[in-house]
Amino acid sequence: MTSTVSSAISMTMSDAAEVLKGSGAAGESLEVRGVFKSFGGLKAVQDFRLSLPPAALYGLIGPNGAGKTTCFNLLTGVYRPDQGEITLGGKSLIGLRPSEIAFTGLARTFQNIRLFGELSVFENVKLACHLRTTHSLAGVILRSGWQRAEEAAIRERARALLQVFNLHDRMDESARNLPYGDQRRLEIARALATGPKVLLLDEPAAGMNPQEKKDLRKLIREVRDVFGVSILMIEHDMGVVMDLCERITVLDYGVPIAEGTPHEIQKNPKVIEAYLGKE
Amino acid sequence: MTALVIWQFLWPFGLIILVPVVLGAIGGSAWRVFWPLALALVVGVLMQHQVRTNMDAYSSKQILDVGIAIILAVSLTIVNGFTGQFSIGHAGFLAVGGYVAGSITYYGSFALFGSAGATLGTMSGLYGAKEGAAFVTGGEGLFLFALLAGGLIAALLGVVVGLPSLRLRGDYLAIVTLGFGEIVRVLIQQTPQVLMSKDAIAAAKPLSVPLSVGGSLGFGNVPKYTSLFWVYAAVVLTLIFAYRLKQSSTGRAMLSIREDEIAAEAMGVKTTYYKVWGFAIAAFFAGIAGGLYAHTIGISLSPVDAGFQKSFDIIIMVVLGGLGSISGAAIAAAIVTYLPELLRTPDTLMKFAVVGVPMLVIGGALLAMAGKPDQGPGKKRGHDPRAFPRAVIGLGVIITGLSILAFVAKRFGINLSDYRLILFALALIVMMITRPQGLLGVRELWDGALYRPLRDFFSARRAEGGAA
Repeated sequence: MTSTVSSAISMTMSDAAEVLKGSGAAGESLEVRGVFKSFGGLKAVQDFRLSLPPAALYGLIGPNGAGKTTCFNLLTGVYRPDQGEITLGGKSLIGLRPSEIAFTGLARTFQNIRLFGELSVFENVKLACHLRTTHSLAGVILRSGWQRAEEAAIRERARALLQVFNLHDRMDESARNLPYGDQRRLEIARALATGPKVLLLDEPAAGMNPQEKKDLRKLIREVRDVFGVSILMIEHDMGVVMDLCERITVLDYGVPIAEGTPHEIQKNPKVIEAYLGKE
Repeated sequence: MTALVIWQFLWPFGLIILVPVVLGAIGGSAWRVFWPLALALVVGVLMQHQVRTNMDAYSSKQILDVGIAIILAVSLTIVNGFTGQFSIGHAGFLAVGGYVAGSITYYGSFALFGSAGATLGTMSGLYGAKEGAAFVTGGEGLFLFALLAGGLIAALLGVVVGLPSLRLRGDYLAIVTLGFGEIVRVLIQQTPQVLMSKDAIAAAKPLSVPLSVGGSLGFGNVPKYTSLFWVYAAVVLTLIFAYRLKQSSTGRAMLSIREDEIAAEAMGVKTTYYKVWGFAIAAFFAGIAGGLYAHTIGISLSPVDAGFQKSFDIIIMVVLGGLGSISGAAIAAAIVTYLPELLRTPDTLMKFAVVGVPMLVIGGALLAMAGKPDQGPGKKRGHDPRAFPRAVIGLGVIITGLSILAFVAKRFGINLSDYRLILFALALIVMMITRPQGLLGVRELWDGALYRPLRDFFSARRAEGGAA
């Protein structure tokens, strides 16, 4: 399917998926059981549990300060849980460095966008292709055949991803010069480039206008369908969450207070209490 | 004579063909290994012969200094520019490389040739060598070995300094590197006197011999092998390596650490691994530069060479050139090294007005033509047709300013080169205010994006023309 890359714009989602094949999507589930984390006296997360099957689209919601991003940081190894179990496809993630966790197939975006601002859009995605490649200093010095072949493969992969996200016409722009909505999408593209099995999206719709939000919903659903990754998203926009997510976990003060389908969550009195307070 | 020269070149040429072929058989890229070596050789030979035949000894020395400065600046770019770890102890690596290489050639010469005098080959020595002397054999071979050894020892220390950077960031790391430079300086100060004769060496404890590098008295006896050939061959190889590094997956990983360490780690980049590699690579090239510096005529290595003042000279080059830009660092290195010499000759400097004034006039005219920047989304992306005229005016101001300065200095009989440190400080301040990203920013000379102001200017002109 290499020819699809050169024929640029006409590429469809599934064509791209073909190009990106072999990037995770092995259908492994993320299991989180009894995770606790406290910072000094503050119990940030208590007894967090989650079971994310392959190709699922789950949501994590809760009022501000509920510990949602802390959960993401625990999953991706930024923080180490005080106790509990986190496994991906049966392999424990506890105690691994964030880079090692990324390698096992967990990719994320950030609440406050963390792109490589000075680097170009293209380079941002190329960098994320980094961890599925071999790279050595000898390759750099010798510019050996395989090193160049690998660079070519990375370029092709990055280009294909940017086409899926409709960012290919701004490839050479510095990432920081992109409009806000594009930056959010670039972050998702970059996360996908690592070849994840599970994608964690931290408020992907934040700061987007209604049209962008609509496009984003479509995109997230397509990403799940075509790439076969499981997605766990934190989101405050209830329209997006209720529309997209199959199941939702609600956190309040670090404690999961409810879990269920969007319909169940909307009816749950505890959730209503957490958001709106008691009468 | 020519036949002899050709014969002497044959075997090293044979070597640079043989090495890539062997490597190529392993990696399949003989040509890509071959051409940088060949280019280094050709550039080196051209520099050695052309510069020395067409220029006086003094200018040749200037050009040699520029070459060493370029290697230093580009090596620091790999740490400060690529990985974004602010190292202010780079001169420590320079000194380590210099002292190690110097010690090897000095005491090695005693062991191999019986005296400390340089046994120059065809391509060594700034002021030319004996006609028909051999290439890379004899003293020159020892020199080459010493350079590499100095680089490798410095790289090893680079790993040692890189290790604390696993835990430290920003200012804290800077302090550690500063400390490293000072430790090197003080340790060198404590070394025993240079052993001046064979008898003295025989009398000394064998282990203390290579460490006898003169302490605070300096180490001036190093045989003077460094030539334009070796310096510019090293410059070419350093530049090509840095460029390849920047273009590679490894280089991108380093750049991502500079941009955002947390995001880099989350994207699977082993940040500590690459930081340590960055330090090691930078230290290696700084060590090579140190070796070249130690063997330069007129230089007496001293502990001061490891001091923070020397480190700051290199940092100034990197910051002025633009953090992360290889070509920027090289250009800035040339300017920073050469400008003090220009300041010594106000007459030359005054002639700059011939270029500077027209630049001001043209820049002003272009600015008047440029019109307003795009409104709306275009503006957010930084498309400003006035950026290009402004750059022209900016350069014009600098060049004209220098010539005016020279005129004033001449009028009042001031020796400008006495004030060069003040001028550099001022230049740095002005740079930080008007163009904090440095001369080229993260771009390279050959990057299309660097010329966007030019494109914006002309596309805005076209758009206006179309509308009218």
